[in-house]
Amino acid sequence: MLELNNIHARYGAITALRGVSISVSQGELVALLGVNGAGKSTTLAAIAGVLRPWQGNILFEGSSIVGRSPEQIARLGISLVPEGRDIFPSLTVEENLRLGAFTRSEKTEYSRNLGEVFELFPVLKERMQQPGGTLSGGEQQQLAIARALMSSPRLLMLDEPSLGLAPALVDQIFELIARLHQRGVTILLVEQNVERSLQIVDRAYLMNTGLIENQGTPEQLRTHADIEGMYMGVRGQSNK
Amino acid sequence: MINLEFIINTLSLGSLYAMLALGLVIIYGILRLVNFAYGELIMIGGYTMFLLAGFTPLPWLVVAVLAVAVAMFTSLFTELIAFRPVREKSLTAMLITSFAVSTLLQNGALLIISPRARAVTLPQIFQTSVMIAGTSVPWRNILTIVTSVVALTLLTLLLRRTVLGIALRAAADNFTMTRMLGVPANTVISAAFAISGIMAGIVSIFWIGRSASVTPTIGAPPLLVAFVATVIGGMRSLTGAVVGGFVYAIIISLLGVLLPPDLVEFREAFMFAFVIIILLFRPQGLIRSKTSVERVG
Amino acid sequence: MNLVDRLKPLNTPFILVAVVLLLAVLTALVDISLLTRIITVMFVSLIMVLGLQLYMGNSGILSFAHIGFMGIGAYTSVLFSMTPTAKELSNPNLYPFLIPLHMPFLPSLLIGALVAAFIAAVVGYPLMRLSDAAAVITTFALLVIINVVLVHWDRVTNGPRTLFGVDNYTTLWTSVTFCVITIFAVYLFKESRIGLRLRATRDDAYAAASIGINMVMMRWLAFIGSAFIAGVGGALWAHFITSFSPYSFYLTETFVVLAMLVIGGPYSVSGAVVGTLVVTAAREILRAIENYVNILQVFPQGFFGFTEVVLAIVLIVILVYRPTGIMGSRELRWPQKLPKV
Repeated sequence: MLELNNIHARYGAITALRGVSISVSQGELVALLGVNGAGKSTTLAAIAGVLRPWQGNILFEGSSIVGRSPEQIARLGISLVPEGRDIFPSLTVEENLRLGAFTRSEKTEYSRNLGEVFELFPVLKERMQQPGGTLSGGEQQQLAIARALMSSPRLLMLDEPSLGLAPALVDQIFELIARLHQRGVTILLVEQNVERSLQIVDRAYLMNTGLIENQGTPEQLRTHADIEGMYMGVRGQSNK
Repeated sequence: MINLEFIINTLSLGSLYAMLALGLVIIYGILRLVNFAYGELIMIGGYTMFLLAGFTPLPWLVVAVLAVAVAMFTSLFTELIAFRPVREKSLTAMLITSFAVSTLLQNGALLIISPRARAVTLPQIFQTSVMIAGTSVPWRNILTIVTSVVALTLLTLLLRRTVLGIALRAAADNFTMTRMLGVPANTVISAAFAISGIMAGIVSIFWIGRSASVTPTIGAPPLLVAFVATVIGGMRSLTGAVVGGFVYAIIISLLGVLLPPDLVEFREAFMFAFVIIILLFRPQGLIRSKTSVERVG
Repeated sequence: MNLVDRLKPLNTPFILVAVVLLLAVLTALVDISLLTRIITVMFVSLIMVLGLQLYMGNSGILSFAHIGFMGIGAYTSVLFSMTPTAKELSNPNLYPFLIPLHMPFLPSLLIGALVAAFIAAVVGYPLMRLSDAAAVITTFALLVIINVVLVHWDRVTNGPRTLFGVDNYTTLWTSVTFCVITIFAVYLFKESRIGLRLRATRDDAYAAASIGINMVMMRWLAFIGSAFIAGVGGALWAHFITSFSPYSFYLTETFVVLAMLVIGGPYSVSGAVVGTLVVTAAREILRAIENYVNILQVFPQGFFGFTEVVLAIVLIVILVYRPTGIMGSRELRWPQKLPKV
């Protein structure tokens, strides 16, 4: 469904991606793992059209989407929940959700998605008329994901959804992602929490300084990849 | 001398300034652009009235509506031709562009019409007054207040009840995220410029209504007022803009009454000094709103 | 690498000065009074543009207050340079204690520049901490305040009326001399440690702060420097034109100086020079066209503002297609022989 081929991207003079190639098939839950600054968020930004790669190609369902504007990419069904959630603080929860459904004009679809969202995130139903800025961190994260779901996305991209959340909430978020996966939503997940991610994903990529260092299923990665080393900054040490 | 006349005058001035500030903030909130050409939209409204009221038999209400329409289309036109191509470059480029557009429009009027002031035929009602509680109140002031209430109500309805309105408010919070939800940037920005133009057009009716003449430089004083009111109210909040407009009107009217005669002329200087002081201590304005990075030192 | 080492391979200021001097000599030789007037004014404009470049080019912040400081320099300097009789004649309202003050031209000019710089220092320091739109609005507010004060403080300035009777001290060679000095000064600033640090903040404020650059201080110094130069320019211009009013230092002049800098290229001293030359030439041609059309009386209401309209369009086009200006951040440089490898 999604294919990145040899993506190179920069922020000004700083090279962020140095030849990234990944793929996500329909219905998969794939993770991009790595430390801070590895280029994971940059990869998502490139897919979402916020950052234009200067080399390489991105294919979504067969057609190239490199160079398209964020609006166009959203209309294709790619939905990004950015790091930091980026909900609209001065809009109410309801308005946030309504805007999330912008690309969908069908009223029945809206009601159906809203119903699903309320089922997954009952707390949002209570807070419908409250401004987004008054919600707690965990609630905002739920709102951000709910908002993305309102557009019936074909590909859902989550950037560090567990960041800054209390451990109990982290559990909830990962549970939620797994549930969405079960429902058939195609998900590309960026995370620093390697262990929890590996528990729920189909496949994962390990990124470091703008390159993909390793990829595979969770079992493959656990046995063959030097995950500890990647985080400790130490190379050449085998896992236990 | 704070009597009924003073109160109504100040209210009328405040509602005028509120609309003025709104037209400026609606663009600033989304683009971070201080539109120097905003004052010239008022000038364009004024010249439209001059041409239509002076040379055609159209009734004055139609003239007023057309003035607003012309201001709106001019605003959209400047966005399309000048601001859109520069938008991706940098904020400084946009600011300089807005200054260039302002100069362009001003001198365009100079070129096409004349450097001299032109008298604008005003409707009879602008020259008459009505007695309220023993004071003579110009109809003009009442109309200003009523028009602004209507305009602000309509705008509020637009912003709260329509998808476009929600998108506009979202764009002011986070423009990039709004685009990532599929909202076209150009639509949002054009809408903002259109609203800005409409506000300028309405303001021009009542601004010209006070002086009954229009010159190419008539856009400068209202632009300055808009700046000050916006800063007072907090540069990214629409309610702040409205409040700022009223606060400005109150302060400047009070200064006019309270200052000794030889200092009254410096009223504007005081207002601007006030602006600078506010920005220094509260870069986000007097009205509390969301966080913003206005301070770096 | 200290200042001298950095300057050695760079011969830009000398090229610029050579161009300026060449123009001056040619003008003196041709000796047509109209041309001499145009070129003299151009050199004063160049001083103004250089002053703006010093602040804007290095800090990256747009300042609208620049012409305001020009006005301060102009009015202050004439207060000292005019004879008491001339002062009494041109401004009957003048404060009595200002009348007997009388100094030669150079000290008057210097005082004018110092007062401008002083006001910039006092008022400007708090402004330096603001960013983007807030900074722009406050410098714009400053321009307006200066204008309002100049217009209304008629006991000093003769109010909105024209102040006349100023001696014509500014000759072609006066303006050239100051121009040459300014080119060197602005270039030296750019390559000095202050200039380098300031440009670091322009490119990335946070990174610069993280290596300990005091951005507020650097900006402040540049602001004062540019105001000083504006004061010099104002004094020179006042003593050229010999009569002026507060409205000589407001929005139109701000626009022209900004256009000269942006069209030439705000990030280099060469840009300031090239922009001034190009825009001056263009303006003279356009003004000639304007006059011609007016003489022919093609339009009954007069043909005014044509110059500014064209200039504004050119500025917008440059911003769209070549935002770094004609020079594009580069300085004019004599090509260096590359060392043989």
